[in-house]
Amino acid sequence: MWKRAIFAAVVVSLMGAAAYASLFIAPTERTMGTLQRIFYFHAAAAWAGMTAFSVTFVANLLYVWRRQPRWDSLGVSSAEVGLAFITTVLITGPIWAKPAWGIYWTWDARLTSTFVLWLLYICYLLLRTLIDEPDRRALLSALFGIFSFLDVPLVFGAIRWFRTQHPAPVIMGDGSSGLNPTMKATFFFSVLAMHVLMVFLIMERNRLEKMRLEVDVIRHELEVA
Amino acid sequence: MKNLGSVFAAYVIGWAVFFVFYVTVARRTSQLKDELDRLRDSVKKGK
Amino acid sequence: MSLLANTGVLLGKELKTEFRSRELLTTTIIFVVIVLVLFSFTFDPLSDEARRFGAGLLWLAFLFAASLMLQPCFLREQTNDTLSALRLSVSDPFAIFLAKLAANTLFLMVMELLLLPVFAVMYSVPVMGVVHWLLLVFFLGSLGVSIAGTALSSISAQARMRELLLPLLLLPMLTPILIACTEVTAALMDRSPYVLWKGIGFLVAFDVVFLTALWLFGEYLLEE
Repeated sequence: MWKRAIFAAVVVSLMGAAAYASLFIAPTERTMGTLQRIFYFHAAAAWAGMTAFSVTFVANLLYVWRRQPRWDSLGVSSAEVGLAFITTVLITGPIWAKPAWGIYWTWDARLTSTFVLWLLYICYLLLRTLIDEPDRRALLSALFGIFSFLDVPLVFGAIRWFRTQHPAPVIMGDGSSGLNPTMKATFFFSVLAMHVLMVFLIMERNRLEKMRLEVDVIRHELEVA
Repeated sequence: MKNLGSVFAAYVIGWAVFFVFYVTVARRTSQLKDELDRLRDSVKKGK
Repeated sequence: MSLLANTGVLLGKELKTEFRSRELLTTTIIFVVIVLVLFSFTFDPLSDEARRFGAGLLWLAFLFAASLMLQPCFLREQTNDTLSALRLSVSDPFAIFLAKLAANTLFLMVMELLLLPVFAVMYSVPVMGVVHWLLLVFFLGSLGVSIAGTALSSISAQARMRELLLPLLLLPMLTPILIACTEVTAALMDRSPYVLWKGIGFLVAFDVVFLTALWLFGEYLLEE
């Protein structure tokens, strides 16, 4: 109980510190000005979202191999958390884009593959709601998750190599190549804070999942008795 | 500082998404915990 | 029996089942014709745009048709539980998938080849000179659609709302196919047609990746 509360406090502090650094410590970027500060949040959230989905992929593989419910729990938890992170990416992106490029969205490789990734994991969660039997649900969603994870680099590659007639404005991902050391430090600190938040959220969501499993077990016990 | 509004909007909305997610999970967890305690009592009574 | 022999036998069964009634092919072809007609209302189909947009719309129509055509793939194995029988009849469950995806690729290609002249006439796009290249794209694209579609069809057959679920799962996953096939086809339908080798290579890569994934994980899709 207390460990969780302390962890939560750590998460909040880190996120707060990262925000403070992003807004007040990092120097103002030359071309984009204050608007560029969104980058520290947006790009860090993107990295954490991708990490979460990598966790989902590994959990899916482990479930197919070992068939232990804990991997299914981890899979769904990390997928939901990943989805939350990618949702913030897809919202903060256009908020940045409108003042920067004049348009909310463009169909370049990074944005489109992020959106397709988001769609695929929505489908992953939707699929789970449509299968009632727990073992079957765990197995089939794990397999779908594996296919989805393999698909995303292909989506990225396809757009990168074939959609060149829509040259995108230079994406702010290049901001991290900005050589200013303070900016780099702020960015990596934001990435750290986001990853700690990710771990916290996955743990909390996983706890819920484990509780649900226990409830099912006890219910079954009572029925049998 | 122009665009400061956009920056704050991005941070606030971003945090809001995480907050809503956490609150939903926490609420469902506490509901489930009550259910779990109730069920555990039933098992004890049954024995 | 070896994998190839098993696959051959099962493939024969799939083809015989379909050509007995031909209902799958017929309904799919009519569906694509309807979609092409509807698409023609959304822009000027006789302009130069048709060459550019036409390729994309053609593949979009193929994808929609495929997501409907692939529904019965595993659903029809649920009546009388013929899937269990299939599983018992082969030593390697991958043979079941190979047979089904080969059959599906074949059906898709038949549909595409029958619709190509319809499309060429409706949208006034010359295709005679590049038919052999179009055949290659159709094959690689249909193969990719079939591999992913057969795998996902076995998943959706075991869930509720399966009619809506298969297109939902399949269409986002086939984004790379749509993009690559559109680009290659558009290049072939250009005023000065050319072969986009990058696209062909990409399609081969997609097919290899998904076929390998299906080979590694296919048996789990068929578990009881």
